[in-house]
Amino acid sequence: MLAQQARGFSFDFSVVTNNLDLYWAGVRLTLFIAVTSFVLATLLGVLIALMRLSRNRLVGAVAAAYINLFRAIPLLVFILFVYYGVRIAFGLTFFTALRAGIFAFTVQYSAWLGEIFRAGIQAVPGGQREAALSVGMGRARTFFTIVMPQAVRISIPPTGNMLIGMVKDSSLVYILGVNELLRTTNLLANRTFRYFETYLATVGIYLVLTTAIYYLVKYLERRFAISDVLSQATRRYSPFARNRYQRLRTLQEAVGGGSSIAP
Amino acid sequence: MAVEAERGMTDMGSRHEPSTSGAGVVEAVRLRSIQKYFGSNHVLQGVGLCVRRGEHVVVFGPSGSGKSTLLRTINLLEEPQSGSVVVEGREYGPGVPGEPKQRRGDRRELRKQVGMVFQQFNLFPHLSVLDNVTIALRRVKGMKRGEAELRAARQLDRVGLLSKIGSYPAMLSGGQQQRVAIARSLVMDPKVMLFDEPTSALDPELVGEVLAVMRSLAETGMTMVVVTHEMGFGREIGDQNVFMDAGVIVEQGGREIYTDCREERTRSFIRAVL
Repeated sequence: MLAQQARGFSFDFSVVTNNLDLYWAGVRLTLFIAVTSFVLATLLGVLIALMRLSRNRLVGAVAAAYINLFRAIPLLVFILFVYYGVRIAFGLTFFTALRAGIFAFTVQYSAWLGEIFRAGIQAVPGGQREAALSVGMGRARTFFTIVMPQAVRISIPPTGNMLIGMVKDSSLVYILGVNELLRTTNLLANRTFRYFETYLATVGIYLVLTTAIYYLVKYLERRFAISDVLSQATRRYSPFARNRYQRLRTLQEAVGGGSSIAP
Repeated sequence: MAVEAERGMTDMGSRHEPSTSGAGVVEAVRLRSIQKYFGSNHVLQGVGLCVRRGEHVVVFGPSGSGKSTLLRTINLLEEPQSGSVVVEGREYGPGVPGEPKQRRGDRRELRKQVGMVFQQFNLFPHLSVLDNVTIALRRVKGMKRGEAELRAARQLDRVGLLSKIGSYPAMLSGGQQQRVAIARSLVMDPKVMLFDEPTSALDPELVGEVLAVMRSLAETGMTMVVVTHEMGFGREIGDQNVFMDAGVIVEQGGREIYTDCREERTRSFIRAVL
């Protein structure tokens, strides 16, 4: 049997189909790591971006140093450093393998995301701020109601790329013995010697996951796009748009026209 | 046009008529000894200006003369290094050197009384036309949605864009966008309207519709300060006409300035432009 396999002629995918429960557990943990890290990194990244743009020079410099430092360290090196280095040197029992991994991902991804968000905020034209200030909005209100929504729309595509990267990078914690998708595959392969079949299934699963994220991002982009409910067909199939259409029509009728100072 | 009807009808008419008190005509805006530097560039060199209620001030001059900066100082989008801005009797800004320090007004209070229209329109692209006009009513004045929308729709009707309330800025022509921008400012009931080259970014064809809206606004007695290169329009509405060059006011006067000015610099500029 071994000899036959070594020549590579007979593939047996029953090793995959018989162990779908293992794969499923691996996928769940992979998604848990990726989503948790990404949510935390996004929150931290927003903070880093705001600090980076702060008018306080010191705060800006701290954020810049943070970004510079954590983008410089290879992710795998950082994961090993947190788990074997920091945890043992300082006796931080809080850092289980899983938590150490999530911590490392959060810190590194917040540095990357911080730069994306900073660029997104800076890409909003200065005239937007001026217009908001000129109608009496304060600095915070201007940021949250005018600048941020536009920055979010600009940041969606690059942030989507980061999420795809996060799902893939989450496989690195297999080295700490976390039973996510890659380590599950690794154990299964070592036990059955069916390396090709088991890894092929894993490749396929990552492909499915990243494709799903791609479509999610596309959906979000479309969701944040704009459309005129008074002139467009969207109102026909969206109950939300239909309500809005009604409201605007009612408003137009209430005002009625006729007191125009326009040409 | 329906000017008479409008005067009676609204919110803007009588309140902005030039009113006189015992001392004479009341000031809407006064700039006092404004000094403004961008780095080592001295863009405003001790400029003073007085705008009476209901008056239409036209500021013209070559690029880089400081006219836009002067306008932006009125609502403190540009903070001068020294000098003060007085709006409706209240003083804002860093103050005139040598005068005793006094309590100064909050910039946001100032901006609530002063509307501004920009060269690049600066409409909020993520908000519909209606939301562009209601957002300040709701977020700054704390007005309920229904009332804010009704007011906004009325204002948009005045600039002829009631049919566009559901559109987004990117779907409108430049002229329409600028009219929405005017409505966005007017809906806040400002005491003074500032216009910073409002037609300079427009196709020549679309300039007319914006000027028409501004003309009717002027006829309602709104206090206006307009920076413009449209000298014909300036001559038509300008009660006070200010020629600036190199950070100072070279000359100011009534309509006669366009035909009979005192300064040679003014004459050469007007001759080149008209």
